[in-house]
Amino acid sequence: MASRNDRLARLPLWMALGFLSLFVLVPLLVLVYETFASPEGFTLAAWRALAEDENAKAQLLASLQLGLGATAVSAVLGAGHAWLTVARDLPGRSWLGPLGIAPLVVPPIFMAMGISDLVMDVGGFWPCAVLLGVAHAPFVAVLTTRGLRTVDGRSYESALLLRGRGPADRWLLRMIAPELLAGCLLAFLFTVADHGVPEFLTVKGKTWHTYAEGIFSRWTRRAVGTTHAELQSPIVAALPFLAALGCMLWAALRLRANNPDRGVVKPLPVQTLGKLRWPALLLPIVYLGAGVFVPLFVLTRWVLGSAQRRDPMGIDYARESFAKAIDQGLPDLMHSLYLGLAVAAVVVLLAIPLARQSARRWPVLDLLVALPAAMPAILLGIALIRTFNHNPGLGWTNYDFYAGWGFAVCGYAARFLPFAALTLASHVRRQSIAAEEAGRFVHRSASSRALRLHILPLMPAAWSAFVLSFVLALRELDLAVMLPAANATAVRRLANAVHFQHEDWSGVIALMLLSFAVLLPLLPALLFGRKLSSLS
Amino acid sequence: MRFASTTALLLSLAACTDNATDTGNQGGDSGQKSGPTIYVALDQQFSEPVLNGFAKELGIKLKQRHDAESNKTVGLVTAILEDRDQQRCSVFWNNEVAHTASLANKGVLEPYESPNAEDVPSRWRDPEHRWTAFAARARILIVNTELVPNKADWPTSYKDLTDPKWQGKCAIAKPKTGTTLTHFVSMWKLLGDDGMKQWIEDMQNNDVQFLPSNGATMRMVRDGKKAFAFTDTDDFHVAKLKGFPVACVFPDQQADGIGTMLIPNSVALIKGGPDQENAKRLIDKILARDTEALLAAADGAQIPLRTGVPSPKDPEILKLGQFREMQWDLLWTGDNLAAFDQKFGKLFGL
Repeated sequence: MASRNDRLARLPLWMALGFLSLFVLVPLLVLVYETFASPEGFTLAAWRALAEDENAKAQLLASLQLGLGATAVSAVLGAGHAWLTVARDLPGRSWLGPLGIAPLVVPPIFMAMGISDLVMDVGGFWPCAVLLGVAHAPFVAVLTTRGLRTVDGRSYESALLLRGRGPADRWLLRMIAPELLAGCLLAFLFTVADHGVPEFLTVKGKTWHTYAEGIFSRWTRRAVGTTHAELQSPIVAALPFLAALGCMLWAALRLRANNPDRGVVKPLPVQTLGKLRWPALLLPIVYLGAGVFVPLFVLTRWVLGSAQRRDPMGIDYARESFAKAIDQGLPDLMHSLYLGLAVAAVVVLLAIPLARQSARRWPVLDLLVALPAAMPAILLGIALIRTFNHNPGLGWTNYDFYAGWGFAVCGYAARFLPFAALTLASHVRRQSIAAEEAGRFVHRSASSRALRLHILPLMPAAWSAFVLSFVLALRELDLAVMLPAANATAVRRLANAVHFQHEDWSGVIALMLLSFAVLLPLLPALLFGRKLSSLS
Repeated sequence: MRFASTTALLLSLAACTDNATDTGNQGGDSGQKSGPTIYVALDQQFSEPVLNGFAKELGIKLKQRHDAESNKTVGLVTAILEDRDQQRCSVFWNNEVAHTASLANKGVLEPYESPNAEDVPSRWRDPEHRWTAFAARARILIVNTELVPNKADWPTSYKDLTDPKWQGKCAIAKPKTGTTLTHFVSMWKLLGDDGMKQWIEDMQNNDVQFLPSNGATMRMVRDGKKAFAFTDTDDFHVAKLKGFPVACVFPDQQADGIGTMLIPNSVALIKGGPDQENAKRLIDKILARDTEALLAAADGAQIPLRTGVPSPKDPEILKLGQFREMQWDLLWTGDNLAAFDQKFGKLFGL
C-alpha cells in the first residue's frame, strides 16, 4: 500500500492530468457533442453542410499544397543550416548554429509585414510558402542538429573509410532521417494551421484560401449565423483538420520514439567544405536574413519614421516613437510579459510529471499531451470559450474565472504544454533508469528521491521548456484575440496599431518584445557562461 | 521536490485565479468594486482616451474590451452572443450599425431611450430604442496622388473598380466583416441579385485585389502599390495626417449615382450586463453632442450626424448635406447579414 508520502508525490501527476482533461479533453468533447446536438435534438446537418461545401475541399487542397511547399523550404533551410553548422567547417559555425532557432522568436506575421514593406506587391502562393517555410525551419534545424549530435562519429568515420564520402553521407542521412522527418512534420503542421500569413499575402481576386483561413472565416460567421449548421460550421470544419494533424503528430512522435538516443561517445567529425566554405555561408545568410534580420530591419525603420512622410526619418523621430510607445503600449507589453512568465511557469510545472510518466510508464500519454499542438489555436479558443464562459462549477462563488487572468494563463498553458512536455519527456528518456531503480533502495522519502534523481537532472531541459513556452506565449495572437483577459497583450495591440498606421511606436513595442524573447534564453549564457549551443 | 512543485503549482494556479478582469484602462474611483464593461469595436486609440475621460467624469470603474482588427466587430458580437446567459458586456459601442441591428433581432439588447439621443435623426435610431447611431464614417475611394496626379483622372464611382483602365490597380476589402460586409449587403439590395453578382465577377476579372481589411487597402494605396481603393474616411484621414500622397473621393455623386455610403457608430445597452445604471449614464455620455465633436476633431475625423455639431476640419471630409448619401436599408441589412455572409463566402472562396 502506498504511503502518504508516495501519494503526495503522485499529486503533481494527477493535477497535470486533471489540467489536461479540464482544458483540452473536456472542451474538445464539448465541441464534438455540440456539432451533433441542435436545440431540436440529434442532427448531422452541420457535418452534411461541410461535406457539401466545395470551398472546403478547395481550401483543403490549397492547405496541402502550401504545407508541402513550405515544408520543402523548411527542410532545405533547416536541415542545411544544421548540417553546415554541425558537420561542416562553415565559418562562424559556433555562433551560427544556435542562431538556427532564432526565427522562431519572430512571429510569422512580422516576417510577412517586413517582406511586404520592402518588396513591392509581394503576394501569391510561393512568397507565402517561402515565408512560412523560413518561419518554421527552426523545427527542422533544431531536430536535425539533435540528430546529428547523437550520431556516433566513429561509425561515420568507419563508413567514410570503407565506402567513401557519398555512401557515408547517405548512411548519415538515414541515421538522422527520423529527426529530419519529425522536424518536417512539425513545420508542415504549423504551416497548415497558420491563417494570418496566407490571409496577409495571398488575397487577390479569384484566389485560393487555406483551410485555416476557412476556419477563421467560419468563426466570424458565428456572429451573424442563425441555424445550427451555421453556428457549428467552424467547429465541424476544424475537427477533421484536427484529426488529420493529430495523425501526423502521432507519426512524428513515433518517428522520434523509434530513434532512441544512441549514447554518443564521439561527435561527428567536422568535414571541410573546401572551396565551398565561404559560398556556403549564403544559406544561413538567406535563412537568418529572411527569418530575423529583415523583420528587425523593417521594425527599426518604422521606429525611425519610415511609415510616414511628414517628418524626416532619424533619431529625433525615434525618440518620439519611444515616448509614444511608453505612453500607448507599455501596459500591454507588461501584461504580455507577466502572462508569458506565468504561462511558462505553469507549463513547466505541469510538464515535468507528465514527461516523467510518458517517458517511463505510459508512452501513449505523449499523444494525449501533444493533442493541443495539433489543434488550430482558433479551435482551442472556441472550445475553451464554449466550455468555460458559464464558469461551470463556480456559479456559487460569484467569481468570474472565465474573464480573469487565470483563465488566460490556463488557456495559453494548455496550448503550449505539448512543447514543454515532449521536450522534457525526451530528456527523461535519456536519463539512466538504472540509477533511478537503485535510488529506490535508498532509505529516502519519495519526495527526496524525486528531487535528487528525477528533477535535478531535468533542470536544464526545464529551463529550455520554460524559455520556449515564454517565447511562444509572447507571440501568440489567435488566443490573445479570443480569450478576454488576453486581449490586452502586446501582440494583439500591435496587430491593431499597425493597421491604424502607428508603425512608429508599434515598432518600438515589437522590438522590445523581441528583446525580451531573446534575453531570457541568453540569460544562462550571460550569467553562468552556459554554452549557446544548448539552445539548439 | 514533487511536494515543492505541487505547492508551487497550487500557488500559481491560486494566483492565476485571482480576479484580474480589468483588462482595459480604468478611470474613476479605484475603490469601487464593480462597474460597467464596455465592448468597443471603434479603433482603440480613438476610443480609449475618450472612454477614460468619461469614466473619470462619471466616477465609475470602467472595463474596456477592444476588438482585434482582423475580426473587427464580429469578434465582440460573437462574445456578446456566447455570453448571452451570463452577460459580461454592459454597453456595446460598435463602429458600424448593421451588426448592432442584427444583435437587436437576436434579442440581446435592452431598450434604452437616452435623453441625449433626441436630436439624432430618426433614421439613425432604432424605433424600439435598442440602439442609437452617432458619428459616422463614409465609404470613400482613397487615391494615390503620385500615381494619379491629375484630378480629372481620379475614379468617381464603385464602377471604376471594374473599368479595364484600372485593371490590377485597385483594391477593396473582402466583405467578411465590419463596414465592407455592411457595404456589400446594402449594395446587394440596391443593385439586385444580377447587378451585384455581375459587379463582383467584373471586379474579379479586373484583378481587383481583395484584402483582409480596409486598413490593408488604405496601406496599399498609401504606399503606392495600388492607385485607388475603397476604404473608410478615418483610414484615409490618418494616412493624410502622416503625410502620404493621398486624396479622398466621395464616390457616386453623379446625378444618377447611388451616392456615398455613410456608416455611423452605434451604441446599445446589453440585456443582463453588469451595472445597468452606470451603463446608461455611460451611453448618455457617448451620445452627447460633445462626443460627436470630439470624434470629429480626432484623427479619425468622424462625421457628425447632428446638425450644429462641429465637423472635421479637413475640407476633404465632407459634411452631411455636402454630398449625396447612399440610401440604404439599415434594418434590412441587419436582418440579412447571415444570409449574405454565406453568399459572399461562396463567391470569395471563404
